[in-house]
Amino acid sequence: MTDADRPLRLRTPSIADDEDRAVLARLAEGELDALEDLYDRYKTMAYSIAYRITNDATLAEDVVQDAFLGAWRNAARYIEGRGSVKTWLLSIVHHRAIDAIRRRRPTIELPEVDLPPPAALTAPDVWAEVAAGLDAETVQRALVGLSGVQREAIELAYFGGLTQQEIADRTAAPLGTVKSRMRLGLLAMRRSLEAGST
Amino acid sequence: MSGRDVLGGLTCDEVREAAGSFVLGAPGATEDAAVRAHLADCSEPHPEIAELGGVLPALAESVPIVEPPAALKGRIMAAAAAELAARAEVVPAAAPTPFPSPQERHARRSRASAGSWILRIAAVLAIVALGGWNLLLQGQLSAAQVHQRDIAAVLDVAAKPGSLTAVLRSDGGSGSGLAAIDGSGAITIAMQDLVPTTGASVYEAWLIGSDGVPAPLGSFKVGSSGTAYFAAKDLPPPPGAVLALTLEPGPNAKTPTLPIISKGAATAAS
Repeated sequence: MTDADRPLRLRTPSIADDEDRAVLARLAEGELDALEDLYDRYKTMAYSIAYRITNDATLAEDVVQDAFLGAWRNAARYIEGRGSVKTWLLSIVHHRAIDAIRRRRPTIELPEVDLPPPAALTAPDVWAEVAAGLDAETVQRALVGLSGVQREAIELAYFGGLTQQEIADRTAAPLGTVKSRMRLGLLAMRRSLEAGST
Repeated sequence: MSGRDVLGGLTCDEVREAAGSFVLGAPGATEDAAVRAHLADCSEPHPEIAELGGVLPALAESVPIVEPPAALKGRIMAAAAAELAARAEVVPAAAPTPFPSPQERHARRSRASAGSWILRIAAVLAIVALGGWNLLLQGQLSAAQVHQRDIAAVLDVAAKPGSLTAVLRSDGGSGSGLAAIDGSGAITIAMQDLVPTTGASVYEAWLIGSDGVPAPLGSFKVGSSGTAYFAAKDLPPPPGAVLALTLEPGPNAKTPTLPIISKGAATAAS
């Protein structure tokens, strides 16, 4: 069987999501046990994302601690219709990690990473939840399918925390070209993953 | 609106072009604010934002798996326990009451003259009730302060090199807490939400090592606050050893009386 023939491995969303929501409800009540449950469920993904972004074990630990405590404090703010608990939690980890590495090079004016996302970004998107359940191998295949410059722009922004101007400077490409690479690259990834998940 | 109209300093076409950078958090402060302002006011739905943003969870799934160090859990739980204890200490201040207007003062005087005796009796009863409530609050505040100090003492032990920590949790009942064991085998436990002991009954602490045999560490009583601080000394246990509490009919129990009230595994703290 070739990679292309291999079926997509999707998680079973309903049971895990129901359990997650139950944990989060207990978390919102301030239950310490619920924090332990949430940590046990997502510690590996959370730490893996933090480590991939910071490339520093100590900083990654700080990021994960900050993210879980943040989730514990703000569990009541989680809005069920805007995505799964897993997506919500891992986005907190991502934001905290990007914030941490940007603070190491505070030479450029950056948006606040804790700004609430605009409604257009938090509109219900069932496919985003499917995307969160795709396994790493499937996503890697979609990433490899992008052009080199598209993949580079996306990875520098998402994992490197670089701004579009920093990416333009680093890759010696015009700013407009960098924007196009990110937009078209994400679009191509979505099309690729959609095609594979149907 | 057309793609050429400007909102937030950007046209719809410019927002569409910036959508990838925006969802990746890469525009920089000025353009990020401009896109947000445009999206807040634009009558068009801009589905490209959600469409591209929906790819981000997949990107998160692409990272190589790296297991966190075992000690991280203990650090997070200890920080949360300390924060919880500190939170319990804070009593919110009463909201200020605005000074009544002349009309309100006149109305109050009228009502007072109509039923002044009833109001005076009610006021006396209210003062008595409030006094009792205040005493209850003081008791709760004091218990929270004591528990916070207990947690701080456990965290001091946990901060020593080579220490183990354990989060003790109940299985369906009440009673949770934090424990630390330093390299010399000194054990400290801070508990809350325990059912008060009565008569000769005591809580017994047990250390269950890899052989599965519970070794008694000592016993303690619990008052109406439900909190307790316990310290003992034993041989340093290996990581993974379990600390457990049982309720015993009296001190010096040699074997635990089930059920286990609260328990947790000791993991490396640093």
